Amino acid sequence: MIGVSLSRWTMSYFAAALGALLLAELMMATGYGFPGADLRAPETLVLVHVVAIGWLSLLMCGALFQFLPVLVNRPLASNNLPLPALICLLAGLAALLVGFMQLGGNLGSSPTALPIAGLLLGTGFCLVLWNLARTLLSAPEHPLPARFVVVGLWCLGATVTLGIVFTLVFGGATSWAPLLALTGVGLPVHVTAGLGGWLTFTAMGVSYRLLAMFMLSPDLERATGKATLYLGTVALVVAVAGGVLVILAAGNLELVLLAALGSGVVALLLYGADVVQLYRARKRRIIELNSRMAALALASLGASVALLVALAIIGRLTDEIGAVVFLVAFGWLSGLGLSQLYKIVAFLTWLECYGPVLGKAPTPRVQDLVVERRAAKWFLLYFAAVWAGTAALLAGHPSLFKAAAAVMLVGTLGVASQLVRTRRLADVKAPSALPQGAQRPRLLYSLSHQS
Amino acid sequence: MTIEMADLDVRPTLRNGGEPFQEIMEAVGALAPGQGLRLLATFKPVPLFSVLGARGFEHEEREIGGGDWEVLFRPAGKNSDAQSAPSAPGNHAGEWPAPARQLDNRDLDPPEPMVRILAATEEMNHGEVLSALVCREPLFLLPELAKRGHAWRGAFEPDGQGYKILIRIGGADQALEAASGAANAQ
Repeated sequence: MIGVSLSRWTMSYFAAALGALLLAELMMATGYGFPGADLRAPETLVLVHVVAIGWLSLLMCGALFQFLPVLVNRPLASNNLPLPALICLLAGLAALLVGFMQLGGNLGSSPTALPIAGLLLGTGFCLVLWNLARTLLSAPEHPLPARFVVVGLWCLGATVTLGIVFTLVFGGATSWAPLLALTGVGLPVHVTAGLGGWLTFTAMGVSYRLLAMFMLSPDLERATGKATLYLGTVALVVAVAGGVLVILAAGNLELVLLAALGSGVVALLLYGADVVQLYRARKRRIIELNSRMAALALASLGASVALLVALAIIGRLTDEIGAVVFLVAFGWLSGLGLSQLYKIVAFLTWLECYGPVLGKAPTPRVQDLVVERRAAKWFLLYFAAVWAGTAALLAGHPSLFKAAAAVMLVGTLGVASQLVRTRRLADVKAPSALPQGAQRPRLLYSLSHQS
Repeated sequence: MTIEMADLDVRPTLRNGGEPFQEIMEAVGALAPGQGLRLLATFKPVPLFSVLGARGFEHEEREIGGGDWEVLFRPAGKNSDAQSAPSAPGNHAGEWPAPARQLDNRDLDPPEPMVRILAATEEMNHGEVLSALVCREPLFLLPELAKRGHAWRGAFEPDGQGYKILIRIGGADQALEAASGAANAQ
C-alpha cells in the first residue's frame, strides 16, 4: 500500500483537451461541418475528430493517468510516457485533419496525410494503452470501476484499429477487399466502439468511484453494478466484434447493432438506477458544484437514450443520428468532463501546492481555490446551449444551432477561465495563499513531490 | 508448540542496492494472527529487532554462512495479541503501542480527513500511534506520510463502516526510500 502520487502530465492533457473543445465549438458556431455539411463530409469528419480525439480522448487519458492508480491502488506504470504519447496524439490529430481536408479537395492531395495520421495516432494510443494496461496488470484484483475501464481500453484499441484501417484505405495505401468492406460500412462500428465503448463505458466506470468519493457515498458493489458491466460488455462485444465479423461475412450489420442496442439500453438503465442510488445514499447533504453539474450531464445521458430509442421506434434514427451523437458528445460526455475537471483541477492543484505543508502551516481548503457561484453560471449557460442546440438539430434550424454553439463557446470559455484561475491560485485569499514550503503550481504540468 | 512461519528473503533486494524496510513491514502486516516470519538478509538486521519487538515479536537470529543471516520473528504471547487486534483480520494493530490519539474523520468532506490527520501527526511525539477512521482508503495521504517518515498500516473495518489507519510517528524513517524505490521499480 503505497498510495497515489500526482500524475505529472495530466494537466497538459487537460489543457490540450480544452483547447480542442474551444476549437470545435468555434467551428460549429461558424457553421463548419455538420449540420451545414453532410454527416460524412470531410468537414464533419474534421469537426468530429477534434471533439473525439482532441477533446474527449485527451481528457479521458489525462484523467486515467491520475485516477486509474486510485481505482486499482497501484502507481502508474510510467509517469514519463504520457508526454511522448501526447505529442504523438497531437501530431497525429493534426495530420488527420489535414488528411480530411485533402479528401475534401481543400488542400493538395500529395503526399496524403491520412496514413501518417494513422501511424502517429496508433503510436500515441499504443503508448497510452501500454501504460494503463501495465498499471492494471500490476494490481492483484480489479474493483468494479476498473473493470469498466478494462472494457473501455479494449474498445479504444478497436476504435483506433478501425480508424487506422480507414486511413490506409482512404490514403490509397491498400485496396485489400476485406479492408475496403470495413471502410465502406464500418463507420457505425467505429463510432459505437469510440463513443459507446471507450468514452461512455470508461466514463461510467470512473463515475462510480468519483461520484461516491465526492459525495461521501458508500462504494456500490451491488448486483446492478455488475449487471451493468456484463450487459454493457455484451452490447459492446456484439456491436464491435460482431459488427466486424458481420461486415466481413457480408451479413446484416443493422440487425447486429440493434441487438447490441437492446443490451446496451438495459445496461444504461441499470447504471441510471445506480447513479440515483449514489446521489441518494450520500452523506454529504450539500453537494459541490461538480456533483450538481454532473447530474445535468447524467440527465443528458438519460435524454440521449430516450431520444435514441424513440427515434429507433419511429424509424427516424438514421435521419436524426446527428442530434443523438451531439447530445451524447456535448451533453453527457463533455458535460461530465467539464464538471469533473472543475473539481479535479482544484483538488490536484491544492494537493500539489499545499500537500507538503499540511499540518505544518495554515493552508487554504480546496474550496478556497474556487468560486462556485461564478462558475455555476457558465456551466448553466453551457448546458442550456447544448440542449437548445439539440433541439435546433431535431427541428432542422441550422442557424439556431450556430447560435447555440456560440453560447456553448462562451460557457466553455467561462469554465476554462475559472480553471486557469484555480491553477494560478488567483482566488485564494492572500495571507495563506503560499505558506513557506508550498510551491506555486505550474499551469501545464505538475511537480511530483516524491523524492 | 510450533508456530507457522512465513518466509521472506530480502537478500536479492539488498544485493540490488534496494531498501527492504517497506517490503518487510508489508510482509509483517500480511501475517495471519499467531504467524511468525522467517527473514533472510545479507546482514544482521539489528534495527528491526526493536521495531518488531515493539510490535510484540521475539527474535532469534543465526548466521547461515556467506555473511547471510536468518532471523525468526515469533509473536510473543501471540494469542492475547491476536485477540486484542481491534480491526480486521490481518491487521495487527495490537502490536503497536495503544493509540495516543484517535480521530473519527468519516463524516468530513474530503480532503479534510487528510488535513486533520497530518495536522495531528505534526503535534504528536516520536513513536506515538495515531488511529484514524476515514471513509475510504486514503490513497493520496500515504505518499505524504512516507515523505514525513511515518509508518502506517490500515484495513477496512469489519462492519464495512469505513477504513481504519494506524500511523506511527517517525516509525519508518527508511520507508521513504523504500516507497519511492518500489514505485520506481514498478
